[in-house]
Amino acid sequence: MKLLALMKKEFTRFFRDPRLILSMLLPGILIYIIYSVMGSAMAPSAETYAFKVYVSGESAAVETIGEAVSLNEGWTVEFAAPEDVDAARAEVESGDATALLVFSEGFDENLGKGAKAELVYNSEDGESSAFATLAGTVLDAYARSFTLTMTDFAETQNIAAQTMASLLPFLIVVFVFSSCMSVTLESVAGEKERGTLATILVTSARRWDIALGKVLPLACVSLIGAASSFLGVALGMPQLMGVSIDIAVSGIGFMGYLMVFLLIISFVPLIVATIAIVSTLSRSVKEASGYTSVVMILVMVLSIVTAFVGGIGGWVVAVPVLNAVYAMQGILMGNMVIWQCVVAFALNIVYAAILVFLIGKMLSSERIMFGK
Amino acid sequence: MQENSAPFADFGEEVVRAENLRKTFTLSRKQQRLDKTGETHKIAVAGLSFSAYRGEIYGLLGPNGAGKTTTLRILSTLIKPDGGDAFVCGHSVRREAQAVRDSIGFMTSELKLEGFFTPSYLFDFFGALHGVEKTVLAKRKHELFERFGIDRFAEVKIKDLSTGMLQKVSLVIAIVHDPAVVIFDEPTNGLDVLTAKVVTDFLLELKRMGKSILLSTHIFSLVEKLCDRVGIIIDGRMVRDGTLEGVCDGMTLEDRFFEIYREVKGETV
Repeated sequence: MKLLALMKKEFTRFFRDPRLILSMLLPGILIYIIYSVMGSAMAPSAETYAFKVYVSGESAAVETIGEAVSLNEGWTVEFAAPEDVDAARAEVESGDATALLVFSEGFDENLGKGAKAELVYNSEDGESSAFATLAGTVLDAYARSFTLTMTDFAETQNIAAQTMASLLPFLIVVFVFSSCMSVTLESVAGEKERGTLATILVTSARRWDIALGKVLPLACVSLIGAASSFLGVALGMPQLMGVSIDIAVSGIGFMGYLMVFLLIISFVPLIVATIAIVSTLSRSVKEASGYTSVVMILVMVLSIVTAFVGGIGGWVVAVPVLNAVYAMQGILMGNMVIWQCVVAFALNIVYAAILVFLIGKMLSSERIMFGK
Repeated sequence: MQENSAPFADFGEEVVRAENLRKTFTLSRKQQRLDKTGETHKIAVAGLSFSAYRGEIYGLLGPNGAGKTTTLRILSTLIKPDGGDAFVCGHSVRREAQAVRDSIGFMTSELKLEGFFTPSYLFDFFGALHGVEKTVLAKRKHELFERFGIDRFAEVKIKDLSTGMLQKVSLVIAIVHDPAVVIFDEPTNGLDVLTAKVVTDFLLELKRMGKSILLSTHIFSLVEKLCDRVGIIIDGRMVRDGTLEGVCDGMTLEDRFFEIYREVKGETV
């Protein structure tokens, strides 16, 4: 009953404060918007163009340009010989024509021997600019004395999966830590600083209950923030990479998602308990915030090392939080190892329970709670 | 020291008993600088013994740093004694801290209420933490809120209450579980005259309700106005203990205190 009252108070404190709720949900929404905007800015244009291009002189490059245009979906080109080059220039300038290509006489034969080509376009016009970029690339390659053929065997799905697998676990840890920080510092260090925690200590509630009554609800609340950030990343990442969500997440499956979710659930209380310990030891929110930032940087660095450095041994499953990063990476790569997930989940819960016990001990310590 | 361990006929049964309490604090370098001392330890309470009885207001009187707050913190189980023991309603502060906390209501300016919540919510919350049954709690809330004029402010957030009303709410919440003993550290410290009156009236009302009250103060008039018995603490030791009349011995409390201070310290103030 006492534990329930303590938990209810934390939930009430959170859910009755719109600012706290917003601060939890906002990161996820912002991440999704930012990633989507960045994705659409970086993605190739999906515009359809019908280029009208005047060509003065002759070159086989024109045919190559035509082929290059046709490779882009929705792009077509019509080449025409200008009756008057100056009139054609004026048409390009006014926007009536896309571009003008002027080849010197015997252009193909005189390549490397004074052959000249001129490309007239208007960069303020999106259509003209797109053609100029394409034609310029083709002509540049055409004028070279060798041809480089590049073959990329990578498939879009693999690139998407690898990017997600490497980045997502790290990002999840960062977002979880941030949301845990924002609620735990205020609730533990804030209450200690304001003297409201001491008021609870004078009641007959057990120190254990007080510690658990903080960690459990704060973990649930942090989970909301973490879920928001996770969804923001998971839905925004495919947009950023320019692939559909189906492609980005295919191969993970229901079981994979369940495991990722369980792993997050396992390390949220652990992070909350860690921050609660730092907060209990600190004399103010400011002091706790400083120490927690150091812990966060440490966890971030280790997470990124775990995510991006290959060849880490199985021992990492014993390391709190990092075990979840390692297991999640496997899941997102499509190589889920069940025992790693189960061990990581169980160990994180055990570590969290140990920390809650320690918090209970700290709450009984007069040096920690009332030391000047 | 005038020991007074025998039960008083005029008062009820013994509800608080301190037996040779000792408490030493380690001084940090910063504290050593502030206190201008090279000592690494400070004896806050040095073998303190006294008893308080049912239905009385007992005052611990002494200068700042005499050990009053430390003694009350030991009695409220916030800190543990290094030596000796204290009993509240028969429960040892060393071995039965939880039972002691159920028997006391502790008030000090260091204990605060969260500004986000309302008096009504916090009354229910602290009632639940003390294990008070819901129906009993509702009845008690109605009675106490009405008695102390809190009912009109029951749903106003703590941070929006006036200082006087906040003090009343803190007092009422401290006795939410109907404790036998109310311990109050420096009850009027830092309060304006109106709020101080709220507190003193409240303490007299608690006494009428049959509570035993233990308070610490360095204000002579407060002791004279409220206390049935008084214990004078100097340098962590109980140097006088008895009824107000007995301790004063025909003098004003202030004159008597400085006479005792001279006797103990061998110096004038």
